[in-house]
Amino acid sequence: MPTIKLEGIGKRYGDIKAADGLDLEVRNGEYLCLLGPTGAGKTTALRIISGLTKPDKGRITFDDKFMNEEEPENRRAVMLSQTYALFPQLTVAKNILFGPDIRDVPDELKKRTLAEMLDLVRLAHRPGAYPKELSGGMQQRTALARALASGADVLLLDEPLRALDARLRISLRQELRSLVKSLGITTIHVTHDHDEALVMADRIAVIHGGKIIQVGSPAEVFDNPISPFVANFVGQSNFFVGKVGAKREATEVRGENGRSVMAQPCSCREGESVVVAVKVGNTEISKEGEGFFEGRVERILFEGRNLHIDLEVGGLGHFAAKVPSWRLGKLSMGDKVQIRWSAEKASVFPVPPGGLEEELRVE
Amino acid sequence: MPRVELKRVTMRYGKLRAVDEVDLTIADGEYVTILGPSGCGKTTLVRIIAGILEPTEGEVWIGGREMRGVPIEERDVGYVFQNIALFPHLDVEDNVSYGPRVKDLPREEQVQVAKRYLELVKLLDKMEMFPSELCGGEQQKASLARALATGAKLLLLDEPLSALDARVRVDLRYELRRIVKALGLTTVHVTHDQEEAMSVSDRIMVMRAGGVVETGTPEQLYTQPKDIFTANFVGETNLLEGWVKGRAEGKSLIELRDGSTVEVTECGHKEGDAVVISVRPEFVFPFTDGLPSRVQYVTYMGTYWRVVAQSRSEDRVEFDVPAAEGKLYHQGQEVYLMVNRRAAVVYPRPLEGIAEAVKLE
Repeated sequence: MPTIKLEGIGKRYGDIKAADGLDLEVRNGEYLCLLGPTGAGKTTALRIISGLTKPDKGRITFDDKFMNEEEPENRRAVMLSQTYALFPQLTVAKNILFGPDIRDVPDELKKRTLAEMLDLVRLAHRPGAYPKELSGGMQQRTALARALASGADVLLLDEPLRALDARLRISLRQELRSLVKSLGITTIHVTHDHDEALVMADRIAVIHGGKIIQVGSPAEVFDNPISPFVANFVGQSNFFVGKVGAKREATEVRGENGRSVMAQPCSCREGESVVVAVKVGNTEISKEGEGFFEGRVERILFEGRNLHIDLEVGGLGHFAAKVPSWRLGKLSMGDKVQIRWSAEKASVFPVPPGGLEEELRVE
Repeated sequence: MPRVELKRVTMRYGKLRAVDEVDLTIADGEYVTILGPSGCGKTTLVRIIAGILEPTEGEVWIGGREMRGVPIEERDVGYVFQNIALFPHLDVEDNVSYGPRVKDLPREEQVQVAKRYLELVKLLDKMEMFPSELCGGEQQKASLARALATGAKLLLLDEPLSALDARVRVDLRYELRRIVKALGLTTVHVTHDQEEAMSVSDRIMVMRAGGVVETGTPEQLYTQPKDIFTANFVGETNLLEGWVKGRAEGKSLIELRDGSTVEVTECGHKEGDAVVISVRPEFVFPFTDGLPSRVQYVTYMGTYWRVVAQSRSEDRVEFDVPAAEGKLYHQGQEVYLMVNRRAAVVYPRPLEGIAEAVKLE
């Protein structure tokens, strides 16, 4: 399976830069999630890899072989669209064999491919069914089998779970990943859902404004975001704006009103204006002890494994925290709580040039 | 704000019952979500409440009045769809003031009403833009403002967040609850997304195949679901298959298929009964003894690790480990798992089998 490289890819549609100096390497056999909001250029990147869209500039290579001019059918990179695009008038078996049929593959080989694919996607009992007779999950698996039966080396998944119900989506994440990993195919999976990316990816590439802004393991991207945008897109974050104070094993950041917080060591200068970001799940609240500052509980929402707590902090605005739901009943609306976090869970960034609000826009 | 009552509401299409004898009372100012998988009848039901569909049997009461024959425009409901339905040729302000305009309110009042709701949804600065110039989340906020500006006391939300990106959806659901609670509206919200339902609702009605599975607060449905379908649908859970081996001192001992045992709080089932234990991943923990299991894979979830294991009893068991403890588990590792006794819920083993009983589609 090939290693795919995109270097300096640019693609314009009128005034819109769908790809703007996009660099990305996808390793042999890797499951990479391309994560970003609507309009970030995710689908364009997939189409450029598949050959369905020609970039205005930049280089595409598969295992160092220059691919820019190669036709889609010679790339062995197959794309699975979010709506599956199954042929409604063809059975599951005919849909799966669509690729082999047009390539005139010998019958014996077709039979074997079909049996393998039906087995792989657990549809051996439904080869004669038509798409409309299948559940959403089965349609998704049929589409996947059709993509794989074409003999792809690279699988391009465009929001493959989007058409499914939320609960089903969660239970199919691991299944889809395991299936693809078992075949060793290089896979690029486009999604706007950060939980899906965390669960499924070997590595996550965060795309924003036609550029890849961070690539790393799920843990790297979650714990060490490269910008406030990533901090808030891959899981919600709280933000604190201030100036760098003392720097020792942790960085002290002083806000207005004399409040200060601790964060990871940073390369920032003393006195520099910075933004501190900490995930809501890493924001601790307690009625006792001493925190960075005090907040008032505005709202408590029971969300299952966690409680979502909205907090009002005088002069600083709103904060949120997620705490285990066994704490329900131990916290009430109006309670005064101490807010703190471990310094190593808080990232420090220079104040974004366009302002924090603009930086955090997710659409 | 009106109270809403559904009495044995049924919708037949030939032999199929899309909605099957649904009873539900929604209190004044209550936020109720109808939650269920695709095809469960939830959208049909909300259309019946709106008056877009007439039920074949049963009664809908809104504000103490029976609604049969009452058209949608006389029901005083605000309706927000999944597919944003703003007028593309009108700017945001004119979209929102559409209701007041149809009611022939004076021009100044139309503007006032529009501004009031645009402020509430935080779109005041975009009121001169056209729908195509807004992003998805903003369009849906404008749709909400338009529904509110009609002066409706009952708000019906049909998958209002489904078309949006995951991240936008999360922000908007907190916002949505804040807005309707600030206005004190009675709200019915339809969704297939259990996380969304838990975050926004006072109560949730779980539907499946046209019927009501159960109704309760998010906390009740998560911690003490009455039905095994709910246990699996509302949040993730482990389902362990076994028999009641014995009962003593407020505890029941359940034997699993390999002879290993799990202790749970007294469950009311008799010795020898075939049962299923439901326990959520955050209430299973590795210990020095317990269910012998082998780790299959480990996933980083940000604030915790999710470990998926296969027990010797051939049950799939997932458990969570706080991220702060580091990556302690790896594929192939042998572990012993304990169940938090008080967090386990025990169900009679379904006749149709567990897989069928919790099937998601």
